[in-house]
Amino acid sequence: MSTPFIEFRGVQKGFGGKPVLRDLSLDVQRGEVFFIIGTSGVGKSVTIKHLIGLLRVDAGEIWFDGQRVDGYTEQQFEGIRRRVGMVFQNSTLFDSLTLADNVALPLRKHSGLNTRQAHAEALNLLRRVDMHDYALRYPAELSDGMRKRAAIARTLAGKPEVMLFDEPTTGLDPISARRIDALIRELADTMGVTALVVSHDLPSIFGIADRVAFLYQGRVYSIGAPGALKVNGDAIVKQFLNGESAGPMETPGF
Amino acid sequence: MANLISRMVTATAAAVTRVGTSALAVAHEVGGIAVLAGRVLRRLIPPRLDGRELWTNLFKMGNGSVPIIILTAFFSGGLMTLQSAPFVQKFGATALAGWAAGYAVLREIGPILIALMFSGRVGANNTAELATMTVTEQLDGLRALAIDPISFLIVPRVLAMIVALFALTVLGDLVALGGAAIVAHTVMGIEWATMYYSFADNLAPYDVLHGLYKSLAFGFAIALTSCYFGISVKGGSTGVGRAVNAAVVAAAVSIMLLDFFLTYLTG
Amino acid sequence: MAIRQSIHRSIYNLGSKAIGAVTVVRDLWLLFIGAIAGVLRTMRRNDPSRRPGEIWRQMHSMGNRSLVFLIVTLGFIGMVMVYQSCLQLARVTGDYSQVGPQFIRLAVSDFAPTLTSLMLATRVGAGIAAEVGSMKVTEQVDALRMCGVAPIDFLISPRLVASFVVTIVLSILACGIMYGAGGLTAHYSFGVNLNIFFDPSNVRNSHVILGLIKAASFGIAIPIVSGYCGLAAHGSSEGVGRATTAAVIGSSFAVIALDFVISTLALLVMPGGV
Repeated sequence: MSTPFIEFRGVQKGFGGKPVLRDLSLDVQRGEVFFIIGTSGVGKSVTIKHLIGLLRVDAGEIWFDGQRVDGYTEQQFEGIRRRVGMVFQNSTLFDSLTLADNVALPLRKHSGLNTRQAHAEALNLLRRVDMHDYALRYPAELSDGMRKRAAIARTLAGKPEVMLFDEPTTGLDPISARRIDALIRELADTMGVTALVVSHDLPSIFGIADRVAFLYQGRVYSIGAPGALKVNGDAIVKQFLNGESAGPMETPGF
Repeated sequence: MANLISRMVTATAAAVTRVGTSALAVAHEVGGIAVLAGRVLRRLIPPRLDGRELWTNLFKMGNGSVPIIILTAFFSGGLMTLQSAPFVQKFGATALAGWAAGYAVLREIGPILIALMFSGRVGANNTAELATMTVTEQLDGLRALAIDPISFLIVPRVLAMIVALFALTVLGDLVALGGAAIVAHTVMGIEWATMYYSFADNLAPYDVLHGLYKSLAFGFAIALTSCYFGISVKGGSTGVGRAVNAAVVAAAVSIMLLDFFLTYLTG
Repeated sequence: MAIRQSIHRSIYNLGSKAIGAVTVVRDLWLLFIGAIAGVLRTMRRNDPSRRPGEIWRQMHSMGNRSLVFLIVTLGFIGMVMVYQSCLQLARVTGDYSQVGPQFIRLAVSDFAPTLTSLMLATRVGAGIAAEVGSMKVTEQVDALRMCGVAPIDFLISPRLVASFVVTIVLSILACGIMYGAGGLTAHYSFGVNLNIFFDPSNVRNSHVILGLIKAASFGIAIPIVSGYCGLAAHGSSEGVGRATTAAVIGSSFAVIALDFVISTLALLVMPGGV
């Protein structure tokens, strides 16, 4: 196996004295669709935000493409953020801009395109996610699934090598959810975009994941192909996959 | 007796702790605002900001505030004339009506009231907008696109607020003098010409400038406080309301403090 | 043709804005009547909206928590006003004997209630709109209705009483602070004798009554305007932000406009007397 493209080594992170990540290690290969799964509040989103410096580790190392990045300054992270795009859970489209302007924003900022060119390119990107009919609408006028697709288009504008998806299918109807899944898979297959997906949506895990890391109590409890996870006899993994309320798993707050 | 003393000691200790904690909290906010000011200034030399955002904000903040500023300025000019009315009527000193009203409005009441209204409309709105963007992770969204939120969002807003408030104060000064004249004419029966000469003879250009340069400082203060409380918001929809509340209060305090020190320093 | 259309459109816009303004004023008036009725209703012993101590709690949060804010802002503005007046007199006559007596007259009849209320409009108005607005967008107001409690009685009436009392009390206090701070400035910066400055002989009963009438009307206007904005909130966190902003600007403007109206009426009713 080649050296991993992205690697977390013994990462620890707490908030207000409460540890969330205790000792998290995982590695992702280039071109993979990698899922991070687990119950709510286990630190899945926290994990991926570390890669682009939105959060800083308390201890541990993060490696990206052969470089150790956890000690980077905000300026150095700018370089990482141009290679790693993120699609947030609530899309984070800017309310005051139309979809086209939202997508054109990173193009204007980074690709040196003028407003007209950026707008044309934005339309192309929106077409990729089937949202070009809504280019002049504002985010507030659209459904969650549409916003999510526009957010993917905006992230694509930076031509990222890696895309982070924070619960891309949560809160969507099953049809929209599968369309998002298909899009993620397609980006990986046709453009070689490495996808790091945070999710607890079982159909997408078994639909498109190459490998899955199951987080439990701030650690990677189990890692492997989704098929292997299914036949894993572990009681905790089984409880999660079957969605049983009673079982050995300790869930804080319940 | 001993019980009473020990209770008093506890109460005093609690009071001291409370004063200390709130002093620390104030120091924390002031420090945060100063850090933000530093970040904004660093991005101004050489200027790194988004031109489009600057124009949209200038339009929104400036043009949008014109009606409320005109009304406020008109009333404040009129009010100052009304306050001088008893004096003027008692001594028949109609030639001084414009002096008293004009002096008070141009130097103090005009810039302060306009700044307070601006803070209420534009500053509060800006805090609410930034706070909403922050709680919905839109600021992280910008950072994830490798766009610096300070130069993209904050710097244009700060500049727009300073310029808009300055321009609105110029407009407000004119309207306030008009309001003073209209009220003097309709309520107190003073001739238009008397009012005009009263302004022209008694008001120096420096009176106008004094109010205007203060408005620059007020604009900067409103901009910084409103942006700071917007981006440091915590906790959902209640948090947004709290942030707006804190921002307008901080803006009012800084307007009054700045007004005092600038007046004292420059006369 | 295009010009005529745009003229039509702007007349239409103006008209709909005017109708909007009339509607808002009518709704504010209805809210005011409703809140007064709520005050009377909640005086009955077994009313469901009756919450003993709620008015005290509101008075505490409006009054005590605004104290430092008011002392700082009004103290400084008192200093600045006296400083500016002395500065101007220094250029003309150099006679400072009238500064104090004139200042206290103006402070009592106008500056103290108006500036206090402007500051309270900022703090209290924003607070009311934020609280009521958050309850509205999280559907707590609807839940109140489901429990058979009138939201106005429950939310607005106690705030109306509290704000009425607090504004009057704080205006009186603020008058003292402005006067004191102004006097010290005149004394230390321009050498004005304190006995000459603190001479209240210019203040007549009519000034005090006018000041109290102003404080009382502002004290009523602030919770009504802000409560209205809070109850009109919709959407999520954006809605609360919009309501809070509208409350600050609306109640500040109500204070300035009411001040203008009351001052004009006073001058017309008692020429030379005020």
